[in-house]
Amino acid sequence: MAFPSLVPTSRSFESGDYPVKTFKAQNGKEHRILYGSNRTNMKLSLSYANITDANAELFLDHFDEVQGTFGTFVIGLDAREGWEGNKDAIGAQTHGNNYRYESPPQVAQVRPGISTVTVNLIGVL
Amino acid sequence: MAKVYTGRDGVMQLGGTTLAKVVNFQLSSNLETLETTTLSENIRSYSPGVAGYSGSATLLYYKEDDGTFNTTDILNKLYKTGTDGVSSSDTVELTFRWVDGTDNNDIKLTAYITSASIGAATGDIVRAEIAFQGTGALSTVTIS
Repeated sequence: MAFPSLVPTSRSFESGDYPVKTFKAQNGKEHRILYGSNRTNMKLSLSYANITDANAELFLDHFDEVQGTFGTFVIGLDAREGWEGNKDAIGAQTHGNNYRYESPPQVAQVRPGISTVTVNLIGVL
Repeated sequence: MAKVYTGRDGVMQLGGTTLAKVVNFQLSSNLETLETTTLSENIRSYSPGVAGYSGSATLLYYKEDDGTFNTTDILNKLYKTGTDGVSSSDTVELTFRWVDGTDNNDIKLTAYITSASIGAATGDIVRAEIAFQGTGALSTVTIS
C-alpha cells in the first residue's frame, strides 16, 4: 500500500543536513569532518485538515503497512502539490533517502465523519 | 395577501406560554465552516461543520395583577441561591413566533440562559436583558 495520494492543506519541510562532526580546538579554531556525501534527516510535516474519516483511515492503514516508524517508503507528488519549484527540492530521494514515519499519525476528530490528520516524516538513508 | 411583518407580529413564548412585555428578541443561527483548501488550489473551499443557535431578548420587568413576574422563570435560571450553580436541567423551551392572522410562523428550541442582566436607571423603565444558547436540534421550524 502506497502513501495516501492526497494533497495536504499545509506542509513544512526542513532540509536536513550532511553528516558533519564539528570539533573545536583549544585555540578556538573549528574543525569539521564530513562523514558522508548524502544529505539526510530531512523532515516533512504534512497536515490534512478536515478530510473524511475514510481518508484519515488511509494514513492509519499505511502506518500499519510499513510497521510504524520501522519501514521506509516513497511519497508521491501529491504530497508536494502546490510547490512550484523543482519537486525534488522538497523530496528525499534525490539524496538517496526514503521517508519513514518520525512519529505516529495524529488524528483529531473535528465533527462526525470529518478529521484532521498530521503526519511527521523523516528522511533516512 | 402580501404582508410585511413588524414588531407587532412578534411573540415570544416560554414553555408554551406567551411572555408579557417583550420589547425585542433576536435569534441567530450559525454554521461552522471547515476549510478544505489544499496547497494546490487558489480558491478556498469549505465543508459544513456544526450548526448552532443563539439569541437575545429584552423584557420589561413586569408584575402581573396576580403578583407574578413575567421574567421569573428566565431570571431564576441564573439568579439562584445555593452553591450548585446551573445544572443540565436548567433549560428553557423558547418559542419565537411571527403571527399572521391564524397562521403562526414558529421557531422553537431548547436553550440555556447564558446571561441575564437587570438594573434600574433614573427616568427609565426597568428591563431584563437575556441571552441564550440553544442546545440540540430545533424542535419546531414553521417559518417559510
